[in-house]
Amino acid sequence: MTHHNPAPQRLAPERPAVTHRKRMRRADLLVILSWASVAIVIALFLAEGSAPGFGDVASIFTSLGILAGLVGTNLILLMLVLAARVPVIDRTFGHDRAMAAHRKIGKPAFYLILTHAALLTIGYGIRTSSNPVTWVMDMLAINDIWLSVLALALLTVVIVTSLVAVRRRFAYEAWHLIHLLSYFAVLVAIPHQLSVGGLFADGTFQRYYWIALYVVVVALVIGYRLVEPVIVSVRHSLVVSRVEMVAPGVVSIIMKGRHIEELNAQGGQFFIWRFWTGTDWWHAHPLSMSAAPSKDTLRVTVRALGKGSRSLIDLPVGTRVWFEGPYGIFTQAARSSNRMLLVAAGIGVTPVRALIEQARVAPGEATVILRGPGDQPPYLWQEMLDVCTAKGAQVFLDEGPRPRHTESWQSADAVGKGFSLGAYSKHLLDTDLYVCGPSRWADLVIADARNHGIKEHQIHVERFDW
Amino acid sequence: MRVRATIGAVVASGSILMIGWDIGLANMQAASTVDTSANSAGAATQAAAAAPATAPATDAASSGTSAAAAAAAPVPAGAADGTYNGSSVNTSYGSVQVAVVISGGKISDVKALKLTDQGGRSVSISAQAAPMLRDEVLSAQSAKVSSIGGATYTSSGYLKSLQAALDSANFTG
Repeated sequence: MTHHNPAPQRLAPERPAVTHRKRMRRADLLVILSWASVAIVIALFLAEGSAPGFGDVASIFTSLGILAGLVGTNLILLMLVLAARVPVIDRTFGHDRAMAAHRKIGKPAFYLILTHAALLTIGYGIRTSSNPVTWVMDMLAINDIWLSVLALALLTVVIVTSLVAVRRRFAYEAWHLIHLLSYFAVLVAIPHQLSVGGLFADGTFQRYYWIALYVVVVALVIGYRLVEPVIVSVRHSLVVSRVEMVAPGVVSIIMKGRHIEELNAQGGQFFIWRFWTGTDWWHAHPLSMSAAPSKDTLRVTVRALGKGSRSLIDLPVGTRVWFEGPYGIFTQAARSSNRMLLVAAGIGVTPVRALIEQARVAPGEATVILRGPGDQPPYLWQEMLDVCTAKGAQVFLDEGPRPRHTESWQSADAVGKGFSLGAYSKHLLDTDLYVCGPSRWADLVIADARNHGIKEHQIHVERFDW
Repeated sequence: MRVRATIGAVVASGSILMIGWDIGLANMQAASTVDTSANSAGAATQAAAAAPATAPATDAASSGTSAAAAAAAPVPAGAADGTYNGSSVNTSYGSVQVAVVISGGKISDVKALKLTDQGGRSVSISAQAAPMLRDEVLSAQSAKVSSIGGATYTSSGYLKSLQAALDSANFTG
């Protein structure tokens, strides 16, 4: 793979093919570990040997109900870990893929927990064979069962508000606040597992495993979602040092702090920022760096799209900034080959701009395509040109309105000339594709790339609609 | 790469499930052979000298049923020599009962009168665990010893019954 242009810097340890192999090995290991964790809880049940068993109908219901609860709970813990921004997960899969997995597991986990509640209620009912009302009342009277009912109710609220259709009706902050209830749901479900769940009876090794599992998950969540952001924010003591107008409604925010290099932030990564102004501190802004970090500065460029980001336009100099991050692998770390093709639209240019600045490429190995309506030059256009010139990267500008009758990521003009991704790069199958822009547009770029036969691991996306 | 992850996940999960299954099977087999002789509650007391030093669990149930009902001497304050029966403790795998032999103010022997016996597996587990528990108790001179891994029900029943026996002997260590 490395026989084209064997430039000396590519012999460095971070050769794309090598980092890629390492990352894939890590990815496989984490996937295996996740599945194994599910197998372990089932094995814990099997190892108990007897418990209710499968001898009669009531026992079958009870046993299946316990299994559903075990697997469902394990999946929920896995979801917490995926959302905890654990460094190894972020470096391996990237924040967005981890969150995609988090969302994917959500429904099955919820259904398993519902099944758990239903089967155990039925199993209990068959055994007591009283009328449904008394049996349900009897059940609720068991130790800690009311807490598990509360947990189920909270979980239902969290899942329902996260269904795509429902989620759209909420402001991000409101939705997020509701979503935090899931932590509470997980915690109030614990007592009934340990007191009613015979599998986790006192002194069993199942109990120790289960408690250890919770301890690990809670430690990861508290550590990486709470403690670490506070520590790095305090340590680097970032403040807004300048706000530059880039275009109407678009500003670059330059922040100064201490020991920024120790963050080891890579071009293409994002942070979740919190600007401590009187009105904006409760807003978390996920924004990519728009330039590679220096020893003491970080820069983001933001287009005032929503109500939240509008207040960023006149951010006072000296505003204290807290942050979580850096996150994401829209970076060098995701590369699998020596060539790069970077495609950006609108404000999506920002991470591409930061990424190309740090890219280890030989002249001619990187290509940048910027897509815009053409009424004004692309954001950060001049510096993009400078950076690309320095790297020997080619820049293409595809400007003009969208085609009217077909859907394409390109302008009507380019479509008319019969262009596609292949027109920009002769070695598409040996190239890493980086796409950043609005979701729908990015999908069209990716579809084009797939038509050319590009592999999934060569595609790296950052979507700009949260 | 995905293929590798899938194969790895299948192999890892499969082995974990098999290990769990195997442990479960062993647990279950421990209980099938011995029938319920739990009605020995309170009956089985043997003189210390008459019993062999170790009472393997498989024998224990039969010795439980055939035990002579020779009552121990009246209990004075402190731990007088003699054999004291513990209470019968119910576990998910059947009841457990032990007797303790005190001589010279020390725990000189623990006899299993009745061990978990539901499912063939539980018998073999108990058979292994009982001598280990006995050794631990003899060296610790107390019922406060850790339970045997893999035999948690047997252990907790065993130690509870033993504690009851020690209490009735006024044994304080």
